[in-house]
Amino acid sequence: MAKLSLMFEKKLVKEVPVGSRAVSIGRSPDNDLPVDNLAVSNYHARVYFEAGKLVVEDLDSLNGTFVNDMRVERATLHDGDSIWIGKHHIKVDSRGDAPVPWDSGRKANAPRINETMVLDTKVRRDMLQQAAAMGERTQFAAGRLKVPTIVVLSGKTDQKEYALTNKLTVIGKSSLATVRIKGWFKPAMAAQINQRDDGYYLVAGDKIPSVNGAPIAGPVRLNDGDLLEICGVRLNFIFRE
Amino acid sequence: MGLFVLSDGMGGEAHGEVASALAVETVVKHCMEGENNPALPVFGETQAGWSAKTKRLSSAVHLANKKIYESAAAHSEQTGMGATVTAMWIAEDRLSIAHVGDSRAYVLRMGGLQQLTSDHSLVAEQVRRGILTAAQAEESEMQSVLLRALGANPEVEVDAEEQPLFPRDVLLLCSDGLTRMVTEPEIAGTLQSDPDPGKSAEKLIALANERGGADNITVVVVTTNADSKGWFSWLFGGKQKSSNGTGTAGGK
Repeated sequence: MAKLSLMFEKKLVKEVPVGSRAVSIGRSPDNDLPVDNLAVSNYHARVYFEAGKLVVEDLDSLNGTFVNDMRVERATLHDGDSIWIGKHHIKVDSRGDAPVPWDSGRKANAPRINETMVLDTKVRRDMLQQAAAMGERTQFAAGRLKVPTIVVLSGKTDQKEYALTNKLTVIGKSSLATVRIKGWFKPAMAAQINQRDDGYYLVAGDKIPSVNGAPIAGPVRLNDGDLLEICGVRLNFIFRE
Repeated sequence: MGLFVLSDGMGGEAHGEVASALAVETVVKHCMEGENNPALPVFGETQAGWSAKTKRLSSAVHLANKKIYESAAAHSEQTGMGATVTAMWIAEDRLSIAHVGDSRAYVLRMGGLQQLTSDHSLVAEQVRRGILTAAQAEESEMQSVLLRALGANPEVEVDAEEQPLFPRDVLLLCSDGLTRMVTEPEIAGTLQSDPDPGKSAEKLIALANERGGADNITVVVVTTNADSKGWFSWLFGGKQKSSNGTGTAGGK
């Protein structure tokens, strides 16, 4: 199995194997290879297998990723290569077997799946990883940690901030509402936020809410930083790290 | 009792049906036993804020997973069988939901259809991660690939949560056979067209059939009403099209 060794000068800092999952490199401590140096971006680069080849990909880092002495955005790695990130370097040891890539055989024996099948966790991880590599650059680690949050800017509510953990969040006077609006003549269910696969949608209830000053005509997908006004209560929708 | 369970089975021969029947039977039985005996063990992780019913419902789904897994392990011909499950338990104006797989729960409220569950399918996960758009997911050949189902592993992660209910809410449980054939606006329109939940369930199945729905389609519709004192009552109707007969639904 391929192995990455993080070195500082001649000293070994950390060693990790590269399996079906990508190895992340960066200053943030939740990386697989954390590099504690201000010249290194939080999520700087990652290394993974694609179609049987070991690949390094720079994640738009400020100071760049170098393989041997060449700056790269993305490069195939060979046994004995060194990835340079700031003053650290990572030695690549890719002797031994590469995992069987899911992608290479996909077209040939493309499973025409009509019957439902369940993936076990290992296959699932491989497939998602491969799918990620095929798709746009996506920083999973960073994206997954963000929690959709409603921050109350003005108006009477039972809390100042709400993390949206339910599939459907009710905003209103009802004692069962997640975001409880207080005061006379407020509707039991003023508006709702529905979590869909592709985002969070604001939906009208007994009142038509507005987003960034414009009343909504139907369900509206919310973006980070949107300002909502519902029955005189002003809310800020944000993705909190 | 206000308990509604829908399960869609998978696995060759008649084993999908065995799995879905086992899922529904186990969930209903465990919830009923829990009502009579609050000391009945609770399986799986629960959250402190959950009501007793939500805890029990989540526990029942964990138990159903175990039963299906054990049955498949004990009978070699059942290898690979599994099931989805989406269960709702109504207590007055509160709804408990527990869910694994790609069947769905929706609420029709003020004319809008809101989804109460997330599909545990590969394509849905790819949409959540920004790899596919929702439109690409609908075209994908990988739609049937599930990341979670009952019976696949000895333990399963169960999605459970609570929702408030409002007068005139209409609740829908359906298997993927419906949602692949009929769009959400059509579902919303059909649910609004008839106050009788049995009839709207029939209409939904008929609509999916017109489109040549090859898959098994199972639908449960529940309408909630509040009387003058604010007490809730509910009416329900279910309907099933079984071309390969792997779906099961039950209500108590």
